[in-house]
Amino acid sequence: MFNETKFWNTFIIIIASLIVVYAIVDIFVLRKLPKRSKNQTTLINGLLILGFASIMVLLIDSLGMFLFLQTIMDKVLGICVLALATTGIVLIFKTSMTTNFAQGSMATLGAFFAARYILYLTATTTLTTIQKVFLAILVSALVAFILGILIDVFIIRKAKHVTSVGKQMITMGLVLVISGLIPVTFGGLPLEIPRLSYDIVPVTLFGQSLSIPQHSIYALYLTVIVLVVLFAALRFTKWGLGVRATASNEIVAKMMGVNTRIITAMSWAIAGALGGLASVLAAPFGGQVTTGLMVSYQVNGFMASILGGFSSFGGPLVGAILIPLLQGLLFYFSNLWQNAIVYLIILLIVLAKPLGLFGKKIAKKV
Amino acid sequence: MMLYSVNRSLERKTKLHQILHHPYFGFFALGFLLLFVQFLRITGVNIPITVLRGLGLTMIYIIIALGFSILLGYAGLASLGTAGFVGIGTYLIGYLTNAKGYSISMILVIGFLGAIAIGTIVGFISLRIEGLYLGIITLGLSEILNEVFKNATAITNGTNGLLMNRIVLFGQYYQFNSNTIFIAIVFILILVMVLTLNIMKSPTGRAMLAMRNSESAAQAMGVSVLKYRLLAFIIATVYAFLGGILYMTYIGFSIPTTWNLAFSLFVLAAVIVGGSQSIAGVVLGTFMIFGLDLAVFQQITFFQENPDITFILNGVLIVVVVMFYPGGLARLLINLKFKITNLVKKLMKKWKAYKYGEDD
Repeated sequence: MFNETKFWNTFIIIIASLIVVYAIVDIFVLRKLPKRSKNQTTLINGLLILGFASIMVLLIDSLGMFLFLQTIMDKVLGICVLALATTGIVLIFKTSMTTNFAQGSMATLGAFFAARYILYLTATTTLTTIQKVFLAILVSALVAFILGILIDVFIIRKAKHVTSVGKQMITMGLVLVISGLIPVTFGGLPLEIPRLSYDIVPVTLFGQSLSIPQHSIYALYLTVIVLVVLFAALRFTKWGLGVRATASNEIVAKMMGVNTRIITAMSWAIAGALGGLASVLAAPFGGQVTTGLMVSYQVNGFMASILGGFSSFGGPLVGAILIPLLQGLLFYFSNLWQNAIVYLIILLIVLAKPLGLFGKKIAKKV
Repeated sequence: MMLYSVNRSLERKTKLHQILHHPYFGFFALGFLLLFVQFLRITGVNIPITVLRGLGLTMIYIIIALGFSILLGYAGLASLGTAGFVGIGTYLIGYLTNAKGYSISMILVIGFLGAIAIGTIVGFISLRIEGLYLGIITLGLSEILNEVFKNATAITNGTNGLLMNRIVLFGQYYQFNSNTIFIAIVFILILVMVLTLNIMKSPTGRAMLAMRNSESAAQAMGVSVLKYRLLAFIIATVYAFLGGILYMTYIGFSIPTTWNLAFSLFVLAAVIVGGSQSIAGVVLGTFMIFGLDLAVFQQITFFQENPDITFILNGVLIVVVVMFYPGGLARLLINLKFKITNLVKKLMKKWKAYKYGEDD
């Protein structure tokens, strides 16, 4: 159906030609102009858009429309989970200035409670699967929400004078504590979370008849609702204003009467809840619930955050959509190296734009 | 502080005092202690092999952590790519010995050159990307390397892991003898510690420290950020490669799952918990994070039955130390020393006042 070697040759030619065009324009045109850096940014943006478009065309051309769209359908769930996890990471990065390695572990703890609750519900009540899983999602989000508050109140708030690398280490310690506590608390129980629904729905898109699992559709609805509410809250409520103020400068925000303690605690709690939702949605695909449930999402979440840029909330979402999609699409051409290639592309993009695709440069006072 | 110690050494300048206060004294003392343990084992005292193996591994991790402490404590660059670099070291020696039969001195030279090349590349990346972003980008690099370890089966034997059961020295094949290699590691460790101390106390170390405190001020004073960032990454990578090569010679087995994010984070934790600017701190921190679990906890039946408790203990330790002692265990020890000397002085004064009557 398609030729792997031809695809990779074209792929490498596209990327190499972008780099060559950049180098030529930069050396022969931009160096001679005043205001080099502004023009450079425009050039990089243009080349990135061109490269992205041509790679998409190449992918559609080599895969065919059906396989291209079907891959997108298959990756809907992965995108939803990653989007939720990434938003949590960014929220904490904004308010606490640290990369939260415990994001995945908080979510996993929620998933364990959810699975235990499902076991309890199955034994005592006669609810349908979908009702049980919805209740479990609430339990998972609630557990992670409370855990987030506890972590902030008892640990992060007390570690105000620790550097951001130190805070990173604290979250790393929390990962160890949580992943040690889970087997002690839930040891021996076979815990599983069923899907919301096992049906597969036929969809017609651009004249192609595709299929998508019902579970992914529910996950998409949930994710979109949660994220729209969250983004609206960030944009229009007082809490959102507080988060943005704290993100830009915590001390000044405090002086202006923003209660940064509550803002930070709520950010941790909401990040936890987002993770709890994500973990229950992701759990059915790994068989039994294990402590390593969210590790790959965690790493991809960090990657998505720097790809989109930590300085905005929308940028990381774009990253969270692109990463699983590219991994899924490149899978057809190399089922071993797709992850490495996606990370390499991210590395190249971040080298070209150090603050991410949508990052804004913040002037630093020396 | 500095003046104080000079004064004191002028006051009582005995030979023994000089030796005890020599900066290398601690390194050699640690080395002799470890050699003594190995010696006891050879003479037939019943020390479990797992304890020795734990100590040997801890020494290798100390070497890796020392390189990292120059990177973090002196140049102020946080990297999460350590695991990938150590992994390259293990596969380098494994492949070159198994398939090509290269001698170990040759491999050390190749590893040194390779580490310089990779350190330079990462150093150039670090010029464009800063702070926590750099940590995540190096994490991505480590993930790429991990994919390579998993998938380049011709070299790394993939997820089954690469075995190496002999080394080549001066054209001769030698079977493994973990006792000999333990002794060799002790000597290499002492060498690396001396080297690290000299780097830290040299103009290079001071330039890095200046760069860490304020990049702009350092640049204004004529410190080349490019040069010292590259140098810091090269040193860290060379140490990581050396650690990898020693790991492979000591354990003889390398599998991609070892070289994951958790390993990088553990090395970072060891340096932060110990105190990123002192060698004693790094040694202590590495022992806390790796050594306690490998050499001590695994001997106690309670922890053998509940391996998860060690995770919890380690995690609580990291959180508590970072929260209350941001300077690390090294700072804690210094504080403790001051408190004890003050207490002793106070008690002496009280006792004198009691004995001779209160004069002042």
